[in-house]
Amino acid sequence: MPRAPFPELSSSVRLKYVKLGYQCLVNNFVAFLLIPVMIAVPLVLVRRGPDEIMALWHSLQLDLTQVLFSVFLLVFVAAVYFVSRPRPVYLVDYACFKPPTTCRVPSATFMEHAWLINWDEKSVQFQTRILERSGLGEETCLPPASHYIPPNPTMEAARAEAQLVIFSAIDDLFKKTGLRPKNIDILVVNCSLFSPTPSLSSMIINKYELRSNIRSFNLSGMGCSAGLISIDLARDLLQVHPRSNALVISTEIITPNSYTGNQRSMLLPNCLFRMGAAAILLSNRRRDARRAKYRLLHVVRTHKGADDRAYRCVYQEEDAEGHTGISLSKNLMAIAGEALKSNITTIGPLVLPMSEQLLFFLTLVGRKLINHKWKPYVPDFKLAFEHFCIHAGGRAVIDELQNNLQLTAEHVEASRMTLHRFGNTSSSSLWYELSYIESKGRMRRGHRVWQIGFGSGFKCNSAVWKCLRTVETLVDGPWADCINRYPVDIPDVVKP
Amino acid sequence: MELLWMIATVLFLYSSLSFLWKAFDCRRNQNCYLLDYVCYKPSDDRKLSTELCSDVIKRNKRLSMPDYKFLLKVVVNSGISEETYGPRSIIEGREESPTLDDCDDEVDDCMHSTLDELFHRTGISPGDVDVLVVNISMFAPAPSLTSRIVNRYKMREDVKTFNLSGMGCSASPIAIDLVNNVFETRKRTLAVVITSESIAPNWYCGTDKSMMLGNCLFRSGGCSFMLTNDPSLKHRAKMRLKCLVRAHSGANDDAYSCAMQNEDTDGRVGFHLSKSLPKVAVRAFTENLQALAPKVLPVGELALYVIRGLRHRLRRSKETKAYAGTAVRVNFKSGVEHFCLHTGGAAVIDAVGSALGLNKYDVEPARMTLHRWGNTSASSLWYVLGYMEAKKRLRRKDRVLMLSFGAGFKCNSCLWEVLRDLEDGGAWEDSIQAYPPQSLVNPFMDKFGWVNEA
Repeated sequence: MPRAPFPELSSSVRLKYVKLGYQCLVNNFVAFLLIPVMIAVPLVLVRRGPDEIMALWHSLQLDLTQVLFSVFLLVFVAAVYFVSRPRPVYLVDYACFKPPTTCRVPSATFMEHAWLINWDEKSVQFQTRILERSGLGEETCLPPASHYIPPNPTMEAARAEAQLVIFSAIDDLFKKTGLRPKNIDILVVNCSLFSPTPSLSSMIINKYELRSNIRSFNLSGMGCSAGLISIDLARDLLQVHPRSNALVISTEIITPNSYTGNQRSMLLPNCLFRMGAAAILLSNRRRDARRAKYRLLHVVRTHKGADDRAYRCVYQEEDAEGHTGISLSKNLMAIAGEALKSNITTIGPLVLPMSEQLLFFLTLVGRKLINHKWKPYVPDFKLAFEHFCIHAGGRAVIDELQNNLQLTAEHVEASRMTLHRFGNTSSSSLWYELSYIESKGRMRRGHRVWQIGFGSGFKCNSAVWKCLRTVETLVDGPWADCINRYPVDIPDVVKP
Repeated sequence: MELLWMIATVLFLYSSLSFLWKAFDCRRNQNCYLLDYVCYKPSDDRKLSTELCSDVIKRNKRLSMPDYKFLLKVVVNSGISEETYGPRSIIEGREESPTLDDCDDEVDDCMHSTLDELFHRTGISPGDVDVLVVNISMFAPAPSLTSRIVNRYKMREDVKTFNLSGMGCSASPIAIDLVNNVFETRKRTLAVVITSESIAPNWYCGTDKSMMLGNCLFRSGGCSFMLTNDPSLKHRAKMRLKCLVRAHSGANDDAYSCAMQNEDTDGRVGFHLSKSLPKVAVRAFTENLQALAPKVLPVGELALYVIRGLRHRLRRSKETKAYAGTAVRVNFKSGVEHFCLHTGGAAVIDAVGSALGLNKYDVEPARMTLHRWGNTSASSLWYVLGYMEAKKRLRRKDRVLMLSFGAGFKCNSCLWEVLRDLEDGGAWEDSIQAYPPQSLVNPFMDKFGWVNEA
């Protein structure tokens, strides 16, 4: 006879309230300590009576020098505190590239092209299966050169794609922020798989006639997590240079990178990568604090390259016929999970509330000293963050992280919907996801966002932002014309 | 009341002392020290003699006789000797179709040999490295070259890596700028920078003359160097960074397109060097010097410059004919003892030397580096520094100016102060005795000298 569900339910409900009570107690510990004091002081005062209080006040005999000195001391201590804090880094605004509908690649087009370019039936069937299960929708875009049969990956076409995606994003950003090109002090560009000379940063300096003393850096080859590496670099530069702003461009240029061979592990990127770009304006100026959307709290970088398996799991190489492609290994998910764990051990103490840290610490001690069979405690990151932007690397990555971090469907909705609408846009995907959350009107003042990027190397990078002002539902941006259709239900397998 | 006073005084003393300590500590950690550097010396089987160059050029069946003569002329008159190095894929005849393995092997050979020696000489283990920067302009595989190094040397998980690419021949000061900025945000940090160029995947196989120059001038080379802001390592450091100036003239279209990787009319990718390059270089150079001069020159020299400038202007307005076209020169030698000039080519070195008012002794390190190593792109500055050190020119308190140009168009410079007398031979160890040679003329002038007359 099946057991009645109610006792279990009631015990789990009781557990839930116990947990809530514990969290409330530990996270507000100092407040709890002060409550007796706050009650006692008025009580004593009330019992003493007003005459006694006045007598006490007059007996203090404060003269002018003492008062002035105390005020001076307070001001001095406050000044020391404020001066020695690191400069805050604000995200004033950002813009994502919205691909034109002429670049759309519905699955039928993709499969037809795959068949016409590559006659190998097994490869085409493999790509079909991948695409059906990929979580990509019908509106993802590839650059014009990739629409040719066969694709036309010249350097000129790659530069044209770079100009299209980057300049559109920058123009949007200038319009939104009113930023003048001559006022940009720092420029950081990251694009992994296309690195011409002169660099893309020089291309931007040329187009917008930026100043000659600009500090520009062009990062390349650093994978899908390079967007957060650029943010880290920009943050370091903004710590050093006062009253400055930084333009960060994150993109991936698809044109030179379509794989024309038959090795399965190398066919996956063809199915997942799509075009995209993001332009982000960071600043450390006080006057930008008023109009900034977010403040950067932490950036944590983890590099697992020392482990050979991790290093080789996303690897550019030539197949047996000499075609160059990026091979994704079968243990990519496991490695991503391990990289995330390493990243969490560093970021956890910085962001988790005291209740979670204490529990984690106690279980750790318990496992080491009492019984090593205890299950390791997975901290509840939902207490630390309201929103999660997980790199839309692929459906499996999002599933894996949702499982590891015990997130609900709503938390990973931004990632899944970005993958559906835009595909894997590499380093810029985190910004499309943030834009989704804002477009849904979910971003409120005080909310904290955790952006997690994974990339070749193998790296796991995190950034934590705090929202400074409630973001009104966006009227423009990449989601403006389709946000009302989202979220959509994405079946496990999509049969055309 | 007394107690309150005491508490207030203690608090005041504590906060003022901690404020002063923080300010002092900040300044202490703001210095960027060069602990050591190792220049890459490829194996002798990779030497590219003029004869071998001629064979490689002849292999390109698309070239006509005038093209062949033009190229040979460039090689013979380049000021480059028989001792420079090329990538294995070109020497073994695979210059038209290098594989990804060829490219990987070329950079691995450079990075691994220089890093092994650097770690050995400094006695510092790879696990202690906090920041890693690689700058190789024309090769950026995935995973990045920084990840390649992290994997080989098993570096820590929290190492900050930056892979700069596409930034041209002047990327060395850019990498130093990046590290210097990171140093100012963290204490006791150790950084390793690798600077090199990838020749193997970039050999031009077409017939466009402007793109063939690169083939003639670029050679294999590289350098790994270690920087730190840890004051406790100061006694082991060779130099200290005093200032760094970057000038980017990319806003101008000529400047942006004068050195550019492009496809020719047949669709072959090559590195185009335009005829306006010298003019562009001069403009970028001037901009850089305008920002550099106040930081580098003593006040006396700056004052003299202002006075000379005024006098010149007055005279020019009175006697136009005599002074038209002349300019007032600044004497950089009043603030700098040694000049590391980018070895872009003999013409570049001569032009820069003349603009700075340098004599034969001052430009000798750059000319000799061009002769011995060719144009090794971003790492050339370090070979020039190596020459000065091998010749025992670098004495304590001397100031060294590194000046380089690169695609974009950029002119970057940095000034170092030598902290102790330096005497390492480095990559020049076995050849320094032969320098400077009696003549820089290519010994194959007899065999191929006819190209100059034809």
